[in-house]
Amino acid sequence: MRLLTHNFLKSNVKGTENGYPLNIEATTLKYEESPVNKPFILNLLPKLNYAAFYSAVQQLSPHCTEYSLPEIPSDIDTSNVDVIDEETIGKLHTWLLDVYLVEGFLVCPDTGRKFPVKDCIPNMILHEDEI
Amino acid sequence: MAKQTTNDTYLLLIEFVHKHIDFHDAELNAIIEMNDIKVGADCQFLPIPNSAADSTRSVPQSKRPFRIISFSWDSIGSKFAVCDEEDNSNSKVINLVTSLARCTLVRSVVELWGYGPQLADCVKSVQSGQGLERHKMGKHLHSSGTASAKSFESRSWKVTIHTLGSTYNRDEQHEMRSKFAFLELPGPVQMENPDDEYLFIREVELDSAGGAVYPRHSEKKELIPENDARPPLACYFGRILGNTTLGRNWRGGNRLEQYSLKKRLYLGPTSMDSELSLIMTNLAQVKPGSIAFDPFVGTGSILLTTALRGAYTIGTDIDLRVLKGRSKDENIRSNFKQYGLPPPELVRSDNAIYHRHFRNHLPLFDAIVTDPPYGIRAGAKKSGSRRYEVRAVLDEHRHDHIAQTKPYAVSDVMADLLNVAAMTLIMGGRLTYVIPSMLDFDERVDLPRHDCLRLVSVCYQPLQTELGRRTVTMEKIKEYDESKRDEYIQQTWVNGPESAEKVANIRERLIEAAKKKPGYEEKALARKLKRKATKEAKKKAKREATASTDDANDNNN
Repeated sequence: MRLLTHNFLKSNVKGTENGYPLNIEATTLKYEESPVNKPFILNLLPKLNYAAFYSAVQQLSPHCTEYSLPEIPSDIDTSNVDVIDEETIGKLHTWLLDVYLVEGFLVCPDTGRKFPVKDCIPNMILHEDEI
Repeated sequence: MAKQTTNDTYLLLIEFVHKHIDFHDAELNAIIEMNDIKVGADCQFLPIPNSAADSTRSVPQSKRPFRIISFSWDSIGSKFAVCDEEDNSNSKVINLVTSLARCTLVRSVVELWGYGPQLADCVKSVQSGQGLERHKMGKHLHSSGTASAKSFESRSWKVTIHTLGSTYNRDEQHEMRSKFAFLELPGPVQMENPDDEYLFIREVELDSAGGAVYPRHSEKKELIPENDARPPLACYFGRILGNTTLGRNWRGGNRLEQYSLKKRLYLGPTSMDSELSLIMTNLAQVKPGSIAFDPFVGTGSILLTTALRGAYTIGTDIDLRVLKGRSKDENIRSNFKQYGLPPPELVRSDNAIYHRHFRNHLPLFDAIVTDPPYGIRAGAKKSGSRRYEVRAVLDEHRHDHIAQTKPYAVSDVMADLLNVAAMTLIMGGRLTYVIPSMLDFDERVDLPRHDCLRLVSVCYQPLQTELGRRTVTMEKIKEYDESKRDEYIQQTWVNGPESAEKVANIRERLIEAAKKKPGYEEKALARKLKRKATKEAKKKAKREATASTDDANDNNN
């Protein structure tokens, strides 16, 4: 799972009000560089919840020291993407698309329910008593 | 004819493969629109000869593999280019060759120099047309007025005769070719890779399998005089576009073959064939930078094709086993890796409760392309207990508890799919899905609907005498209003959820129908015995294999 997907996932077990953003407990991470696709990032930014993305990056950073990944700005005006410079786009790309959570958990901020992530696949299925 | 060729127009002849006939127009229109080419303002479709209803031997255009599109000559070179090579120097110019080459079902695109019902009409039309003069000028060979690499005088050429499967011998072909000798092309004739390949097409009536309705020769290869004397439906002459890069058979060579299912490492019983997947990604207008979603991803065959079109892909499924694949080297990701594509995002979630897995503030996807479960090869499941009273899961079991699932009615599968599409597609984004059906399915009233989605196209593909499948494309035209959710879902089936019953459990229905046929019992018994024999043979082989390895181990010890 990349952070892009994390940005759209939420927990909604019975009784949860918000369930967003999910906290990340990382066991294994992976970094795989890919070419930057600027139009894609610009197309994506207005759809992104930037605060949730930023907090996810903060949670993963301590586990990624071996890759010396860039820091991202704490806030970005996603409604006006044209003023964002190339360097920032590259940094956003790295964290959105090149970092993978391989093993770990996504944790509901309200109920503490843990959704396991295995082989990069988050298992968001709700149990029968959570529906 | 409604409109004749004038000096101001530039005509293209589109030649389709004689396959998936019902998809021809839908795919072509989707690609034309995706490339921002506006039918009406930029170009018009002209009727092909003998297609008008009042003509005596009329065959409607929709049953024939040819279309003629007319552009204004002024727009060639300014708004559109027809050169072989992709020219990025002027991004405002749309290259018709590379744009249309994305159509899976287009065989070739020809710069049409002349056409008519019969050979003589076609020759006359070429003589009075502008094709040759314009070609001499070379203006249309390059998009932004760059100097032509090869002058008209030095361009090598050949004339190909295409008679749609009817056989004409060398002399007869030469006779047809000689009618165009007046062009006096100055360059050298070259059979292999010429600069210009000219094409003469003699169109005749074809049956649905692509064979001639009135074959020129019998099976014993004897000429059938009355069929030979039949005039053609139409004759076309022109120059093949993209000749040096794509050749005549645009879809030939390795373009499709390299994506063939057989070559994929990971396959399942529900994998979609690659040609239909490629058509679906065109119907859904998936392009580089799109975000494409498949809520019933299965083994990922459709998702892979959307990624081939340059999309960033997200797939979900309720079944964790298909997402994980068979092994480390046989799974959805390994298929993507095989084609050098960026890995897809896979999430195990339940499309019946999409809105509880994903935040739904903003439309996210440019395209949803999917083959929903209809209980044909894999029955649909959704989250929840089958019991009336749900038992609580103990906290200490929570982390490794296997969530219960229950059957998911096809009427609900479709209602949820359309509603998720309405909720998550961007405005103008497209949903393309496959729906199987038997002859009792009436697409005018039985297809599911949604207030926010417009029906774009329905393409029918016969599979067996009674069974077929439709590929349906819808477009989001209205903002989704969460407060109307129940209303949207209630309006899915105009004729009530019974429509969905027509597409559900087709396998069972086919078996029921087969049981009524005479001789079913005997055949079923024979098949059963054969299966049993194969199974035992396999078992035996396995036993022997283990026995021999045991021996080997014994020897080592």
